[in-house]
Formats: sequence, structure tokens, C-alpha cells
Amino acid sequence: MDAFLAAGAAFMDPYLLGLVLIGTVGGVLVGAMPGLSSTMATALLLPFTLTMDPIPAIALLSALYCAGTYGGSITAILVNAPGAPPAAATAFDGYPLAQQGRAGLALGMAAVSSVIGGLFSVVVLIVAAPLLARVAYDFGPPEYFALSLFGLSMLATISGESAVKNLIGGAFGVLLATIGMDFTTGVDRFTFGFWELSEGIHFIPVMIGLFAGAEFLTQAGQLDRVQVRAALDAVRLPGMEHFRKCAGTIARSCGIGTFIGLLPAEGGTVAAMIGYNEAKRWARDKSQFGKGDIRGIAGPETANNAATGAAMVPTLALGIPGSATTAIILGALLVHGLRPGPHLFTETPTLLYAIFLAMLLANLVFGMFGLIGAKLFARVTLIPVRFLWPSVFVLACIGAYALEQSVLDVWIMVFAGLLGFVLKRYGFAAAPIIMGLILGELVENSLKQSLIIFDHEWLRFLERPIVVTFLALTLFSALWPLVSVWRARRAAAAAAE
Amino acid sequence: MGMSPGEGGAAAPAARFPRDLLVACAILAFCAVAYGITLGFAKAPAAVAQNVQPATFPRLVIAVIAVLSGVLALMSFRADSARKRPVRPMVVATAVMMVAFVIAFDILGFIAAMVLFAAAMPLLWGERRWRLVLPFAVLFPAAIYLVFVVGLGVHFDPGLLGIN
Repeated sequence: MDAFLAAGAAFMDPYLLGLVLIGTVGGVLVGAMPGLSSTMATALLLPFTLTMDPIPAIALLSALYCAGTYGGSITAILVNAPGAPPAAATAFDGYPLAQQGRAGLALGMAAVSSVIGGLFSVVVLIVAAPLLARVAYDFGPPEYFALSLFGLSMLATISGESAVKNLIGGAFGVLLATIGMDFTTGVDRFTFGFWELSEGIHFIPVMIGLFAGAEFLTQAGQLDRVQVRAALDAVRLPGMEHFRKCAGTIARSCGIGTFIGLLPAEGGTVAAMIGYNEAKRWARDKSQFGKGDIRGIAGPETANNAATGAAMVPTLALGIPGSATTAIILGALLVHGLRPGPHLFTETPTLLYAIFLAMLLANLVFGMFGLIGAKLFARVTLIPVRFLWPSVFVLACIGAYALEQSVLDVWIMVFAGLLGFVLKRYGFAAAPIIMGLILGELVENSLKQSLIIFDHEWLRFLERPIVVTFLALTLFSALWPLVSVWRARRAAAAAAE
Repeated sequence: MGMSPGEGGAAAPAARFPRDLLVACAILAFCAVAYGITLGFAKAPAAVAQNVQPATFPRLVIAVIAVLSGVLALMSFRADSARKRPVRPMVVATAVMMVAFVIAFDILGFIAAMVLFAAAMPLLWGERRWRLVLPFAVLFPAAIYLVFVVGLGVHFDPGLLGIN
């Protein structure tokens, strides 16, 4: 209770309040801009939060995360170009509604359902994170090793071109994490004689490069893209008849988004797609889906925002990121000298309550701003890409440089950007690599410690029930996409015969 | 997000050779090189290493990547792989500009590099309205300078031109 009051008192400070407001407005703006996601924005912003105290820094990033998830819906509805991947499903029915001259209704439903989903997930975060942390108190290195393997295996099920490619990306990230001095022996690995690499590759330049650098190159290949704009009528709250129609969808999507968000590595994009599919599956009249059904907005928007708070649960309680953006927030906690996991709840409870409050506030503020200012936020798409993306690249360079004030980090960022672009062309997503890079140290250290505990007898991992459970889940989540593909092909072959 | 007729738009004709097979071969080659590099890692005394040499974990990860690449190669024969459209010249030019910017950052100093980049990039991307390009080339670096150098205290080396 004292910690909660202390966090509440911290929010009386206009500086912290102002930061959360800036993070929220900034999040909506970057979320609305196609190509600029909240993940990229948190990656770009992270280096500049290093000079702040942990509470304002993490509160700012959390607010940006919540608002950015909502912001993507604005351009999905108005210009059929989702500002961020979690809003992709919103465009299916949002844009047709906008074309029918009912953009206001679509934007209003997106704002309201996002707020409901977001608030629900923060309540889940407040309740579930301490409970999960309490369970995690009993975890030793073998459990953390199995848990981090489970987190990496879940990469197989996140959206992307191929489950195997996601797993390769995750393993590549873990390999990147081995660059530098081995912590037990002091031996340099993959440093190629560069002493600067002895401390390892910092994930911030890699992350900025993979997201911002690669997107800069992607935009260079799309300069002839023409966006069709829909006329926007007044933004008005959906009426009671719309709420009645969407109540079931919103309730279901709250559950779907929360469940998906709780799973390691899964995030808003998967939640939104499932939210949309379930909204359609449960509807008696499916004929209007894809043509402008309001439930096609309520479903994905509730689900992707419900995933935000839920994704913070494994991030804070276990140190295993629940999504790409929470992986960056996890990184922010680490660079601020905090070790996510159960001890965070006993050592820095004020910080945790501040995160909860920042997310609550961000949800309320973006809901209000979304209803009042969606028309204004949509104008960010008017910024010419010929000026916007060079500016983003310069900011990416500053972000990479500011960390250690080292040009080597800028080179790493640019190299990561070039690599990210090539990998993207061949179906490899950036998020698994980042997850692997962030989890790599935990995987290696917990494995080494476990082997010492077990006196190098690998079979002794199987003596611990929690480890066995996580290893079974790891096997299941890694193999499930392959089994699904095999079953789908068998079904297709049977149908063809 | 792609609403354009540009890259990644309509499906291209099927490739004769599975694209993912080539990708898997490239990854396996990478694994071979990475494994070769681990052979050069120094060995730690047994008492320090506690039976886990510095190369052990990286080799384990390389083995996992190699196995997954094998799975990718096997799956590539079943998957329909479309031929990728070639990388547009503008993407290559932009990549060159990214590298040139960092070289200029190192040699000329950040502020000078940023002014040049802010003027050159919109021109490269086809912007011909000088009344927009010139103010951008001046005002954007000025804003960055105010926010990051004056406001946040980020120090940039002045470079050869001595502008800081």
C-alpha cells in the first residue's frame, strides 16, 4: 500500500505527468504513421531515457507502448494503411466504413474498444503480475533456462512468413548475444580483435537498426505508393445500438487479447487477428464482414490493446518479454540497472505501481484524445515521406550514438538495418532476433549454472516438474506450427482428390 | 500495409529453384563459418571453465540454427516460393547514402553530415521543391542540435570541419 501511495504521489509531479502525456500523444502520432510503430518509437526513444530516473523513463515508454497500439487504427481506418501491424485487421472493416462516409463511427468504436481492452489488460496486469512473480520465487537456474527456451519456442507461433524462420531468427539473436567476453572464463568470442566488442553488442543499436534502418530502406522501395484517403465526418461516440451489437465481441476480445498477451513472445498483432476472426466466427450475420461491419473494428482493437498490459505480465514477473515492444521495455529496465523478475516486486514496488498507473493514465488519455483529435492525428500521414524517413534515419543514428557516444554503435545500427532489410526480403522478421538477443544472456547463464548444479548430467533437468512442464510446452509450441502446416496440406490434398 | 503496385505487391511467377532452399544453404554456410571461428576461441583452464568452455554454448546455438536450416531446406520443396522482385535501384542508392552518412559523421562531424544528408536525401528521393528542401536542410539539423546537443547534452565530435 505504501508503494502504491508513493507511486500515486510521484504522479502528482507535473514532470512525470507531462512525460506520460507526451508519451501518449507521441504514441498515437507514431502509431498513426504507417511504418512507424510503437516498437520502433520505443527503440528510438530508449537511449534518451538513460539520463532519466527509472520511474519517468519506464512510465514514458509504457505510455508510448499503450497509445501506439491504438494509434495504428486511425490510419488503418482513414487511409487503409495500418500505422502498425496490430492494426492490420482493423483496416478490413474500418476502411470500408470510412469509404461509406462513416469514418467517425469507425474511429469512435476503435477508440472506445481500445480503451476497454487496454483498461481490462492493466487490471489483469495489476492482479496477475504479483501472483506470477510469487510463483517465480521458487525458480532456480534450470527453471529459468526452460522458461527462456519456452519463450524462444513461442517465436514459432508469432505472425510472420514461416515458423522455422522465426525460430532461426531467435537462435541467431541468441548467437549475437554471445559476442563479447564470456562471463565465466573472461575469453573473448567473435570480437575479431575489436576491443570495443569485448563488452558485447548492445541490443539498442541492433534493435534500432533492425526496425528503423530496415524500414528506411523499405520505404525507399515504395516511393511511388499512392494512398487513397477517405473523407472524415465528425468523430462521434458510437451509440447504444452499436455497443449492444459489439458487447459480446468486446468481451471475447478482452479475454483473447489477455490470453495471447500473457504468452511469451506473442503480441498485439496475433491477438488482433484472432480477435477479428473470432468476431466473424461468432457473428450470426457474417455477410458484412470485410464490407464495413462495426464488430470487425471492435474485435481486433479490443484484442490488440488487451494484449498490451497482459504482455507486461511475463515481462515484469519473469523477465521474459510478452511482445516485441515489451522486449524493448525489458531492455530499458536492464539498462536502468533493474532485473525484471520476482525480486522487482519486493525491491522496487513503487516502480511497478508507477508503470501500472502510467498505463492506466495512457489508456484514458488516448481514449479522450482519440475521440477529440483523431482527425488531427490523421494529418500526420500528410508529412511527405521524402522528409519524414530521412529524419527518422538521423534520429536512429543519434539514438544508436547517444548510448555510448560511439560511432561504432552507429555502424552497428546501419549494418543491422542493411541486414534487417535483406532478412525481411527473405521472410525473417526483426522481432525474433531482438527477442533472442535480449534473452540470450539469460539462456546461456542459466544453462551454465544448471549444468554446474546438475554436475553436467543433462538428464537431471527432467527431475524438476516445472522444468519438465516448460520443456514439454517448448516442444509443443515449436512443433505445433509444423503440425498445422502438415495437417492443412493433408486436408488440401484430400480435398483435391 | 502495402497498398502500392510496388515491391511485394502482386504475386510473381513461381521460381524454378526453391528460394528457401537457397536461404537454407546460405544459413548453413554461415553456420560453417561461425563454427570455424569458434575453433579459434582460447581455451580456459578447467577450474575456471567448470567443464563449459567459451566455445560450448555458441556451438550449441550454431548446431540449433543448422538443424533448423535443414528443416527449412526440407520444407522448401513443399512450399510455393515466388520469385522476389529485384531490389530497386533507389533502395541500393539509399543504402549507399546510409553508409556515406556514417562516414561523413565520422570524418566531417555530425552537424555537417546531417546538413548534407538532410539536403541530399529528399533530392535523391525525387523532391524538387527547393522551397521545402532548403528550409528542411537548415531547420531540421538546427532542431536536432537544439534538442540533443543543447537540451540533452549529447556530445558530438566536431570532425574535420570543427562544427560542434
